[in-house]
This record gives sequence, C-alpha cells and structure tokens, in this order.
Amino acid sequence: MALEITNIVVETLPRFEGYVYPNESGTHPLWGFLIVLYPYITGLVAGAFIMASLVRVFHVKPLQPIYRLSLLTALAFLLCATLPLLFHLGHPERSFQIMITPHLTSPMAIFGFVYAWYLMAVLLLELWFDYREDFVVWSQTTPGIRGIIYRAFTLGVTDTSEKAVALDLKMGWIISIVGIPSAFLLHGYVGFIFGSIKANPWWGNVLMPIIFILSAMVSGIALCVFNYMILTWVRRRKLDMRCLDVMGMFLFYALVIDATVEALDWIHRAYSAEEGFHVMEYMAQEKLFYTLSIGQALVGTVIPLLLLGALQLARKYVSEAMRKRMYFACAAFILIGVFAMRWNVVMGGQFFSKSLRGVMSYKLEFAGAEGWFMGLILLSLPFIILTVLIKLFLSERLPTSGHIPHRAEITTTEI
Amino acid sequence: MKNSVSRRSMLATLGGAVAALMSSSAARTAKAAVQKVFVSTSAPKGYDPYKHKWLMCFDVDKCIGCGLCVDACKTENHVPQGPTYFRNWIERYIIKKPKPGSGETRGEVVVDSPNGGRDGFTTTPIPREEILKSFFVPKLCNLCEHSPCTQVCPVGATFDSPDGVVLVDPKYCIGCGFCIQACPYGCRFLNPETKTAEKCTLCYHRITRGLKPACVEVCPTEARIFGDLKNPVENDPIQAFISKNKLHTLKPHLGTNPRVMYANMDKEVR
Amino acid sequence: MPPQIFRLVLLTLAIVVTYFIARQLLTPATFRQYGFYRGEALAEHASHTPVYAGRKACLECHEEIQTQLFKGEHKTIGCESCHGPSSAHVADPDSAKNLPDKRNTLACARCHEANPSRPATQKQINVKTHYSGEKCVECHVPHQPNEVP
Repeated sequence: MALEITNIVVETLPRFEGYVYPNESGTHPLWGFLIVLYPYITGLVAGAFIMASLVRVFHVKPLQPIYRLSLLTALAFLLCATLPLLFHLGHPERSFQIMITPHLTSPMAIFGFVYAWYLMAVLLLELWFDYREDFVVWSQTTPGIRGIIYRAFTLGVTDTSEKAVALDLKMGWIISIVGIPSAFLLHGYVGFIFGSIKANPWWGNVLMPIIFILSAMVSGIALCVFNYMILTWVRRRKLDMRCLDVMGMFLFYALVIDATVEALDWIHRAYSAEEGFHVMEYMAQEKLFYTLSIGQALVGTVIPLLLLGALQLARKYVSEAMRKRMYFACAAFILIGVFAMRWNVVMGGQFFSKSLRGVMSYKLEFAGAEGWFMGLILLSLPFIILTVLIKLFLSERLPTSGHIPHRAEITTTEI
Repeated sequence: MKNSVSRRSMLATLGGAVAALMSSSAARTAKAAVQKVFVSTSAPKGYDPYKHKWLMCFDVDKCIGCGLCVDACKTENHVPQGPTYFRNWIERYIIKKPKPGSGETRGEVVVDSPNGGRDGFTTTPIPREEILKSFFVPKLCNLCEHSPCTQVCPVGATFDSPDGVVLVDPKYCIGCGFCIQACPYGCRFLNPETKTAEKCTLCYHRITRGLKPACVEVCPTEARIFGDLKNPVENDPIQAFISKNKLHTLKPHLGTNPRVMYANMDKEVR
Repeated sequence: MPPQIFRLVLLTLAIVVTYFIARQLLTPATFRQYGFYRGEALAEHASHTPVYAGRKACLECHEEIQTQLFKGEHKTIGCESCHGPSSAHVADPDSAKNLPDKRNTLACARCHEANPSRPATQKQINVKTHYSGEKCVECHVPHQPNEVP
C-alpha cells in the first residue's frame, strides 16, 4: 500500500527530464522525508506557543482552557524536534560540533543555540513559573515516584506565598513576551535556511521565512484544536464551545493571512516569470500535482477557508454538533495541508534542477533511517510524549492552583 | 552580611573562570598562527599556502569532449564510480537549427552529460543536418571568491584555503548537505561511503607538489588552462589566456564571484 | 533575591560554564590556524598520494619521445592521456609489472571519432569507414602524427 502511494506521489522512472547536473541525478533526494518533518515539527511548536501567548500576553480570556495544553503540546513537539535532524546527518556523532564551532554565517549554525534558548529559557521556564505553585502542592500530596518527580521540578523552592506567586505570574508574562520573537526565530530561521539559498530559485526568495512562520501559526493553532478536541473526547468531558469558537476564529484569520502571502508568492513568480519559470510550472503541475494542487491548495487551504469562513459569518445558524465536526475536519485538513506545504518546499526545490533546464524524479524509500516508516514513527513520537506529559501535568485528579495565567489587575479582553 | 559576601566572591570566581576560559582560546590561536607552513611528514614540507593563488580556466572552443579529464579525476581522487558522483564533468550543448521561416535565431537546445562525459560522447541524439552548432563545456568547482558553500557550512568543515581552493574537511563534515544545496553550479555531492560532502579539490595534493591537476595533465587539446596567479611562469598560460580572450563566468548575477573563467562561451550555458 | 530567581541564576551559570568548558576541550587544536576551519585539514588534503605521475616524470627517462612529440600536433597531449596513470611505473621503472599501456585503436577513436559537437580544428574521421579493419598505427605514428611509420 505504501509503495503504491509512493508511486503515485513520486515517479520512479525515468529519473529526470530535460537536463540536470550529473550530481543532481541520483535516485534519492539529499534532503528527504526527515527534512520535510523537521520544519513541520518546529512550526507546530511555534504555533502552539503563540496560542498560549494569546492567553498570557493578549489576555484572550476565552482561550484559557487550552493554555496549559498548548504549552505542553509545544514542549512535546520541541523535545522531538532534533531527532529528524540527527537521523538525517551523515555523521550524527559529530553533531555536537555545531555548538562547539558554530560558523556564524550559516543559519544552520544558530540551530543549537536557538533550540537551547527556546527550550530552556522560554518554554521550560514559562511552564515552570506557571506550574511552580502546583508542583509544591503536588509534591506534598502525591505519593511515590510522581511525588519525587514533582519535588524535583520545584528545584527545591517551596515558597507559595502570595508574593512568590505574584512574582511567578510576572515572570511568566515577561517570558511569554520574550517567547513570541523567540518562537518566530525558532521557526523563521528554518525558512531562512531555504530562503537564503540563492542557487535554487524555488527556495531562494524573501518571502520564504515569512511564509514558513505564517503557516507555522496556522498549523500550531490547528494542532491545538485537534489536541483539545481529542483530549476532551477521550476524557468524555464537555467541550468549551466558546473556546473552540475563538480558536476557530483565530485559525480562520491566520489562514487568510497565510493564504494571501502564499498566493502573493505564486502570483509574483508567475508574473515576473524569471528564467526557469516554465520548468517550475511544469514541475508544479506534473511532479507536485497531488501534494500542491490537491494537498496544500485544495485540502489545506481552500476547503478550510470556506468552512471556517462560513462559520465566521453564520455561526449562530450552525448547531454545536455540526460546528464540532467542522472544526475537527478543518484542523485535520490544515495539518495535512501544512505538511504538504513543507513537502512541496523541500522536495520541490530538489526536483527542480539548478541547471534551470530539467526536473528530477526522486524516489523515497519506505525503510531505512530516512524513509517513510522512520518519518511516521518520528511523527507519532510527540503524541506519545504529550500523553505522558498530560498524565503528569494535566491530570484531572490533581487540584490546580486555579490562578489565571495573566496579571489579575488588567481587565481581560472580551471577544 | 556574611551570606552576601560569600555569594559575591563565588560569583567573582565564576566570572574569573569564564574569562580565563574565553581568553585561553585566543592564546591558542596566537600560538597556532606561527605555524602556517606545512610541517607534517606526508604533506609537501615547506609549502606556504599564502604564497600561491591557483586558478583553472577553460577555452570552450578547444574542448573535444573526449572525457579523459572526467576519467582521470575519478582515478586520481578515488571518486565513487556511480553515475551521480562527479568532481568534474563535461556538458554537451546541441543547438538545433530554427524552423525555416519561423524568424527565430535558434531552435531547441538539447543539453546532456551521459555519465558525466566520462566515456566520451559516443552517440549524438540529434542528426547532424539538424544541428546549428554544438560544443562541449567542462565544469567543476568555480573557485568562488564569495563561495556560498563556505558561507552556509554550519561547522566550518568546508573552507576557502589561502591559496584559492575551496576544500572540504572530511573529518569534520557532519554530512548535513547544506553546502551541496547552496552551490549554484552543482559541483558538490555527498560521498555515499564517507557520508561527507565532496568536490573538486583542484588536486590539492598534486598542485602543492608542483604537479598539475590530473584533468589538466590528461587534456589533449589544452582546453584546460591552469596556473599560479602569484607565481606566473615564463609564457604563463593563464596570463596569456586572460590577455587574449573575452571572458565569461557562470551565473555572475548570483554574486558568488566565480574565479573560473570561460573563453568562447555561448549564451545557453548555465 | 527571591528564591526562585536565585535557583534559576545558579542553574543558568552552571549551564553556561559547562558549555564554555566543553567548547574549550572539544575544539580541535588547529582550528582557526588559517581561518574558520581545522588547519590540519589543509595538510591532510596535500598529503594524498598522486596517481598520475605527470608528463615531466615520463620525459625524465623517455627523452627521445619528447623530441618526436614536439615536432607534431600531439605535442599538447600528456603521456598518461593515452598510456594511463603511471606513478607506480615511475616509482619502480625497472619492474615488469605496472608497465603503462601501449594503447590501441579505441584510444585514437576517443579523440578522433567524428562528432558534430567537436570543433573543426580537431581532425576527425568516421572510424567505421576510414580504412575499417586496419589498425591506426599501420598508417600513423602516434607520437608524431604527421609522419608515416
């Protein structure tokens, strides 16, 4: 079944059409499934974090129920973010060199530092400040290994006075503010990696980092919708429809902006029709038909825009049950669509020959370190980690401090 | 009071340790700077990379597409045998005649490079009577002054040597492939055995010993011109080439400043 | 200082110091010798053994061929273009093994087979019809092509 899918999506014979440089004419692409996966994962991280910062920085009160879930989602995916890169390197045992002798003219070199900064100084720190009070309480009341885990996470600080909690809230707010540009940097630099490659016209343009960040926002919000609905369904609880509706609203507007900028990219390319454009056109229509026209454009953009747009206009006429189905469908479609977008960027750029005269037809293996199978495992790993994190930190059996994650003296923004 | 003093002194000690660590790397650099001439036993002793600047150029009108250069390179540098690993290669451009009465200057342009040109070009896909003009173009690393490949290497594994050659350190390369994607000329590949990036080294091990690169050695028609810009010999071929020909570089609009120059180049070549 | 902040500052300092220590220990010794790379790599590249000996090495012993070559149009061709890589022979000239090839018709055809992409300055023949069945060396002297054997 997987082979048939492979054959539909990627032609196996002949290996190229037109003229391609001999070094480009191999059977497998240099950057494969794993490199498609990496920007997808960091995009989800950045998007989920922005969802959380909507609550903390922009005081969007209806989104409160998903605050902690979005942060934990971001953490689960961030923990897995380095794995596709490690598996892809020719020499993963030398990967530490990126931190020891980072070549600062290379966007890839900042990866180690941006990742470390975002993981430790933003995500873990914000989570810690938000959870600290709860950790102290839970460490005292939970027996066994879980109690030890909570105690470890308190870092030995047991002060739960009002003054300390107020400081926690303030620090969390500051970190959230710092976290927004950090999230943009974490994912934007990946877009810049592609956008800075002037050798390849499919990649090397100014809009690339912007498009990456915008589609990351969209995918992150969609993931939060997806996770929230699944978690509530698993727990057999009632969905907070107001929260879901507000998420749907943000998803719609983010998608509108993302679709606009992506459309701008296409329109500009087609209009200025620089050298090699007819090859790009051929590639987009033939080699990338299923992933671009169907996956990214139709399923990932047009259908969610129509569904979510309809809900924005006519929400009160749609029943709750119907809305839930529409939101879930849109979230799933968008997640597929953004994955297709990453595929089109990474693989499309490699199909397109730098000779500007041909296209390659690469084959993706199923097995092996860079194959589909490994990719699917790496894609499911964050969800497994998220389940563990939810059990530890979002358990319904544990009492929470109940403080809302924003400064109490500021009035909340009603939507 | 006692607590803050001990905390202060602890922070001061830490700060001092960090400062010492950071400055010791500078001291190490200064010491290494003394040794800029090869001293290891198997490298040619006394070769000073700062005293040379190597360059290769091409005369497209002289290339006969025999492919001896491609074969010699693979032999000399133990390049993997497959048809997708080339440190240098030959491209053939066949420009067909325009359709009569169409008002065009040229017809379709057919470009190919069967096995990189290694076995020569024994078959011609277009009948002779349809061909307007046709020629061969040898390709390799363009020795860019602002090489995008070295710019994007995340660890400093590929670099511009002081004598004008762009090299890869196979012991340090992590195999990320960024340099391969960034090279506009397609001259890099990932060696499937070493899993590191590889490319033309201008036969560094030969030129540092006063030999010519293998491809230049076997070229029968002097289509490849090689020399040392800092030490021109009598009747230096590079100096003659530069002064007598109108010159062309590949993809100049990308700002890579490729130093490899072509004479008698056609506008179809990328 | 509030206890949370103090703990965090300690943790941060510990991480930063560990990083700088690791950086110091793990950076290769010759890094930054010539530039942002391992200086030893330059010497390592220079220390590979050449496979082709180079024309000068051949002519050290085979001087009479040099005189022949310089009279004719093959003077631009290196010895190893036709005779193959010969550094093993140069290293041990008296040994019977590693003797370079004395080439055959295929070697001549490689450069002289008629090909529309070849410049007109290159003398070209259609190998199949140009005295087919005969060896090139029946009528041509490879080292001095304007002579007859």
